[in-house]
Amino acid sequence: MAAFGSFALLLALALATYNLFAGTAALRLLANGRPARISSDRLADTARRAGIASFVAVTAAAVALVWSALTNDFTITYIAEHSNRALPAPYKFAALWSGQEGSLLLWAWLLGGYGFILRLTHKTEVKLHAYAGTILAGVEVFFLAIVNFAAPPFSLLKGAIPNDGNGLNPLLQYPEMVIHPPLLYLGYVGFTIPFAFALGALMMRYPGETWIKVTRRWTLVSWLFLTLGIVVGMHWAYGVLGWGGYWGWDPVENASLMPWLTGTAFLHSVMMQERKGMMKSWNIWLIFATFMLSILGTLLTRGGLVSSVHAFAQSSLGTWFMVFLAIVLAVCVLTYIFKRNHLKSEQRIESLVSRESSFLFNNLVLLTACFVILWGTLFPILSEFVEGSKITVGAPFFDRVAIPIGIFLLFLTGVGPLLPWRAASLQAIRRNFLLPALAVWATVIGGIAAGIRPWQDSTFDIGRFYALVAFALAAGVLTAILSEFLRGAGVIARQTSRNLFAAIYLLIRRNTRRYGGYVVHIGVVVAMIGLAGAAFNRNVESELALHDRMGIGPYILENAGGSQDTNTNYNSESVLLDIYRGGKRVFQVAPERRTYLASDQPQTMAAIHSGPGGDLYVIYEGTDSDTGHPIIKALLNPLVGWIWAGLVFIVFGTLVALTPSLMPVAATVRMPAARTAPAEAALKGGD
Amino acid sequence: MTEMQGIIAGAMLTLALGIYIFWPENAPANQSEKSRLDYLLERKEQLYENLRDLTFEYRAGKYPEEDFVAQRSLLENETALLITEIERVERTRPGRIALRAR
Repeated sequence: MAAFGSFALLLALALATYNLFAGTAALRLLANGRPARISSDRLADTARRAGIASFVAVTAAAVALVWSALTNDFTITYIAEHSNRALPAPYKFAALWSGQEGSLLLWAWLLGGYGFILRLTHKTEVKLHAYAGTILAGVEVFFLAIVNFAAPPFSLLKGAIPNDGNGLNPLLQYPEMVIHPPLLYLGYVGFTIPFAFALGALMMRYPGETWIKVTRRWTLVSWLFLTLGIVVGMHWAYGVLGWGGYWGWDPVENASLMPWLTGTAFLHSVMMQERKGMMKSWNIWLIFATFMLSILGTLLTRGGLVSSVHAFAQSSLGTWFMVFLAIVLAVCVLTYIFKRNHLKSEQRIESLVSRESSFLFNNLVLLTACFVILWGTLFPILSEFVEGSKITVGAPFFDRVAIPIGIFLLFLTGVGPLLPWRAASLQAIRRNFLLPALAVWATVIGGIAAGIRPWQDSTFDIGRFYALVAFALAAGVLTAILSEFLRGAGVIARQTSRNLFAAIYLLIRRNTRRYGGYVVHIGVVVAMIGLAGAAFNRNVESELALHDRMGIGPYILENAGGSQDTNTNYNSESVLLDIYRGGKRVFQVAPERRTYLASDQPQTMAAIHSGPGGDLYVIYEGTDSDTGHPIIKALLNPLVGWIWAGLVFIVFGTLVALTPSLMPVAATVRMPAARTAPAEAALKGGD
Repeated sequence: MTEMQGIIAGAMLTLALGIYIFWPENAPANQSEKSRLDYLLERKEQLYENLRDLTFEYRAGKYPEEDFVAQRSLLENETALLITEIERVERTRPGRIALRAR
C-alpha cells in the first residue's frame, strides 16, 4: 500500500502542477487573443480536467493510508506511530488526521475535494472558474509538495517491524475528536475557494459583483464548517481536558478564531458591495486576510512556533508555510496594486446612523478583535525575537479585551437590522428601537431583582457586570429579531390571508438569506448567554473516603464506591458518586481515569450531568498518596448548555441561508415621470 | 499489496487519468467576454431588489412615510439613470438582440 500511496501522491502533484501551468498559459492566451496551436478553451479544459484527476489521485492516497491503518500495516512509520491493533476502528480511521503527515494529507484531499466541485460547476461562469481553478491549483501544488517531500505519510519504518503500534494519543480517543479536525479543516480549506474567486475576479477585472453571488455559498459553507469545528472543539476540550472550561485562549484555538472573525466580517460587508457597490477593496482584503490567517493558523500548529495542546512536534514545516505565506501576500499585494482602479466604490456612506454604518462598525469591531487576538498569540514569538525570552500572554489578557468587544458586537447584532439603509431619521429610530430598549431595561431590572448584582459585598464584580449587560443586550437583540419576523410576517399575512405561522414560513422562503441570517444571530445570542453564564461558575475540591460527602450549589455528592475495568485498549478506574438534591438521591455519576496500554498515558474522563440549571461537572483527579482516598473536583457551570444550543440555531440558520429564495412574483413598479427612461417599467416585485 | 503491485496499480491509475484529461472534447465550455451592458443589467436587477426591500420594510412599519418617499425617490432616480444608460449602450450595439425584459 505504501508504494501505491506514494505513487498516487506524486501523480496528484504532477496533475496539480499541470493544472497550474496549463491553466495559466490558457488564461494568458485568452487575455492576449493571439492564435495558437492549441485553442485556449481546449487548453483550459485539459487544465480543469487535470485538477479533477488530481483529486482522484489524492483520494486514492488517502484511501491507501486509511486502509493501512485498518489493516495494521506497521511497515509505514505513520501507522506505527499513530495506531495500534486494539484501537477501535473509528479511531483507526481518525488516525488519518491524528499526526502531522496524515492531517496534511487530509488537508490536501479536502482542498482537492472543494476543487473537484468547483471544476465540475465551471459552466456557470467559465472564465471566472478558470481563474479560480488555476489559483486553487497553486495552493494544491503547495500542499501536495509538502506531503510528497516534507511530510510524506507513506515513509517506511527503518529497522525491525514492530508487532504493535504506539497507539493514538489518548486525548484524541473521544468521539468528537473523530469529527472536530475534519470540520475545522473543511472550514480552513473552504476559505481557499472564495479567496481564489476574489483573487481571480480582481486579476481578470471581473465586471460587476456577480462573482460574489457565485462564491456566496462557498463562503457560507466554509464559515459553517469553521464554526462547527470551533464549537465541537470547545465541546471536546470541555469533556476531555478535565478543567471544566471550553476555551483557554490556547494559540491554536486563537488561530481558528481569527479567520472566523475576518470571515464573519466578510459575510456582512460583502452585502454592501452586492447592494451598493461599496467597500470593494475592503472586502477583497477581508477575504485575502481570511485565507492568509487560515494558513497562519496552520503555520502555528505545524511549525512548532507556539506551545499548545493541539500543536504537532517541532518540524521544518514552519519554513515551508512561511515561504508560502510570503508568496501569497506578495501575489495579493501586487495584484491589488496593479488592479486597484477596478475596486473604486460606486457610493459613499451617507449617514453614521444607517445600516451601512452598522456593517462598517461591525467590521471594525471584528477586525479589532482579530488584531488583539493575533497580537496576544504572536506576542511570545515577538518578545523572544526582541528580548530573547518568551513572554506568554495568558487568558486574563484575552478575557479583559475580548469580553467588552464581544458585548459591543452583541449590541451591534441588535442595532444593525433595525437601522434602515442610507440614513435613519429620529422618528424611524424611535419606532424601531422602542421595544428592544424596553426589553433591555426590563432584563436589567429583572436581573438585579433576581440577584445578578455586580456590586455584591461592597465589591464590584466585573464578571457579573458583564454578564448582566450581556443578558440585557441579549434580550434586546432577541426582541429586535423577533419583531423583524413578526413585522414581515404581518405584511405577508395581510397580503395573502395566511395565518401567522404560514406567513413566517413564506417570509423565510422569500428571503432565506436575510431570515436565515437572523436565525444565525439568534444562535449567536443564545451562545453569548451561555458564555456569560461563566461568571457564575463555582467549584469545590475534596478528598472523599467511602460515604464521605461534599456539597456544591444545590447538590450533595457522596462517594458510593469505586470500580475498575480493563479492555484491550486501556485500564480504567472510576469513582461512583451518588448525587443528592433536597435530601433525595437524584442520579449517579462516575468520573473516570484511564491508562492507555499502548502509550502508557493517563487520561481523565470527566462525568458531566447536564440539567436545565447547568452542568454538574465532576473530575476524578487521582488518589491521595497518604490516605489512598480519591480526590474529587466538582464544578457547577450554569448555562453552559446554551453554548451548544446556540450552535444548533447557527447551523439551522446557515442551512436556511444556503437555500435558494423563492423567485419574486412579477409586478409593476411606478417609475418617476421626468425620465428619459420609459415611465413604466416592468419589474419583478415580491410585495 | 506488494511494492510491484502498488506500482502497477499506480501506473494504471495514471493511464486512466491521462485518458480522461486528454480525451478529445469537441466543444469545450467557453464564455464570451462580459460586456458593460451585462454589468448594467446586473446592476439594474440589484436596484430593483433594493426597491423591493425598501417597499417591504416600509409595509412592515420600519420606515415613516416621509423617509420611505425620500429613499424610494433616490432609488428610482438611480434606476432611471441606469435604464437610460442601458438604452444608450444598446443603441450603440446594433447587432445585439433586443434586450430581453427582466
